[in-house]
Amino acid sequence: MAYRRIIVGDSEIKVPEKLLTLGLIPIVLIVFFGWLSTGIYKVGPDEVGVVRTFGEFTRVDQPGLNYHFPYPIESVDTPKVTEVKRIEIGFRSLGNGQYRAINQESLMLTGDENIVDAEMIVQYKIKSPEAYLFDIVKPRLTVREAAEASLRTVVGRHNIDESLTSGKLKIQEETKALLQEILDKYGAGIQVVAVQLQDVSPPEQVLGAFKDVASAKEDKNRMINQAEGYRNDLIPKARGEAEARIRNAEGFKQARTKRAEGDVAKFKSMLKEYRKAKNITKKRLYLETMEEILPGVEKVIVPDGDNGNVLNLLNLNPTKGKK
Amino acid sequence: MKKNIFLATIILGLLFAFSTVFLVDETEQVVILQFGKPIRTITEPGLNFKLPAPFQTASVFDNRLLEYDVPPEEILSQDKKSLIVDNYVRFRIVNPLLFLQTVQSVPIAVTRLDDIVYSKLRQELGTHEMAEIITENRDVIMEKVTRESNEATGPYGIEVVDVRIKRVDLPQENEKSIYARMEAERMRQANKFRSEGEEEAQKIRATTDRDKVVVLADAYKIAQEIRGEGEAKALQIYADAFSKDPDFYEFVRTLETYKKVIDKNTTLVLPSNSKLFKILTE
Repeated sequence: MAYRRIIVGDSEIKVPEKLLTLGLIPIVLIVFFGWLSTGIYKVGPDEVGVVRTFGEFTRVDQPGLNYHFPYPIESVDTPKVTEVKRIEIGFRSLGNGQYRAINQESLMLTGDENIVDAEMIVQYKIKSPEAYLFDIVKPRLTVREAAEASLRTVVGRHNIDESLTSGKLKIQEETKALLQEILDKYGAGIQVVAVQLQDVSPPEQVLGAFKDVASAKEDKNRMINQAEGYRNDLIPKARGEAEARIRNAEGFKQARTKRAEGDVAKFKSMLKEYRKAKNITKKRLYLETMEEILPGVEKVIVPDGDNGNVLNLLNLNPTKGKK
Repeated sequence: MKKNIFLATIILGLLFAFSTVFLVDETEQVVILQFGKPIRTITEPGLNFKLPAPFQTASVFDNRLLEYDVPPEEILSQDKKSLIVDNYVRFRIVNPLLFLQTVQSVPIAVTRLDDIVYSKLRQELGTHEMAEIITENRDVIMEKVTRESNEATGPYGIEVVDVRIKRVDLPQENEKSIYARMEAERMRQANKFRSEGEEEAQKIRATTDRDKVVVLADAYKIAQEIRGEGEAKALQIYADAFSKDPDFYEFVRTLETYKKVIDKNTTLVLPSNSKLFKILTE
């Protein structure tokens, strides 16, 4: 069999002579089918195939193996429509958990003309592949710029204390709404999935002052707690003491009454005896008492004194006094 | 030979036919020029025909929303505060023919756009105070600038879709004064918290001291009442009993008093005619 050598670039192809004698038809056919085969394409599970016929959008192909007429009749784009894309504002992740702050983006004015440092993440995905591909340029930049503008606009509506604390969620929601509104206005075909405020903090220059406010709050609580401690210590003690005094008084009352009853009982029994023999008993009692007291006492006998009343014993001579 | 001529004619014919066909993409719009004179504008995508060059040529323009990031500029507000404004513009070529006739290309269009937007923005911001620009009026201002810019760019075949302020910052020296103010404000708050803490603590302590005194005084009152009751009862008991024979009571009580009063240091003076003496000498 005879061959003819055809040199294509650096390589050499041996073509059977017979093939050439058939004329150009097989070659044309091979080229034609080869051309047709370039229209086979794959759409990934996270993609769709957006087909343009003569430059005009005609259909959307679903994931799997698909076919479009080859260039220049049809062309296809396969944007990732389920992929959630992420944009960082105010910082950039450097991988391995590190990140770099970008103050130019993150520092912004609040409604009360203070400055806060806010970092945000925007997540978005393609809502309309045709709009995303054909109606806007630089989609990522568009989202970034609109997100920055939205965040600043929204923070500008709030004061610093709201931005730093309670208003964070609100700012996040308002930013998301505004960002979506802007992107819809641009017909960008983009859906904002989430806007997350990562960190809203006072700028570095005044961080110390803000921290001091926090510690002042702590101080306040501490002082109050200490005072409460003082109270909790003192009041129960006082109540205890009060209770003790009352119990004491009750004891006194009981004792006083009992003693009185005792004394009275004794008196009554003595009275009973006394009534049996008044003079004798009286004398006996008197003598018993004297016997008890007189032994240790210095006695001065005054001849011819008073009229001998027993009670005169008490009239001690004041000028003499104690020895 | 004849065959070759025939073939050549066919090929030339095909080439000619192909050269009359052109595509307009989804992202494009086209103005057809005949010897430089615009004769047709195509804004719909698809297959189109024209005479080949040099008879007719196609000028292609972008159909998409285009972006232009304006470099930050310093602009004075109505209250003469200087602000650094960073904004961007989104625009679209809506009339390619006008666009072609007036500005020709996007780079030239952008310089025109820059002039227009900058002057409108400067003009508009100059009628607002800084606080308004930063806060709620920003939307209104941007809308107005967009509208006015749009009117001014109409003759160029450009529609300004959006002029948006990305950032409004203060010059560095103003930032410093803001930081100073923020710091002072926080110091005031910190002092307030601490004073409040002291105030609260003082209140609690004082109340505690008062409560303690009151509790003890109450207890004193109750205790005294109880004691009084005790005394009264005792007195009553004594009185009841002793009133049965007051003389004897007096006698017994006197004897008891002797026992208590007379001790070793007492000198007893006994008159010789006293009862006791008699008893003693008897």
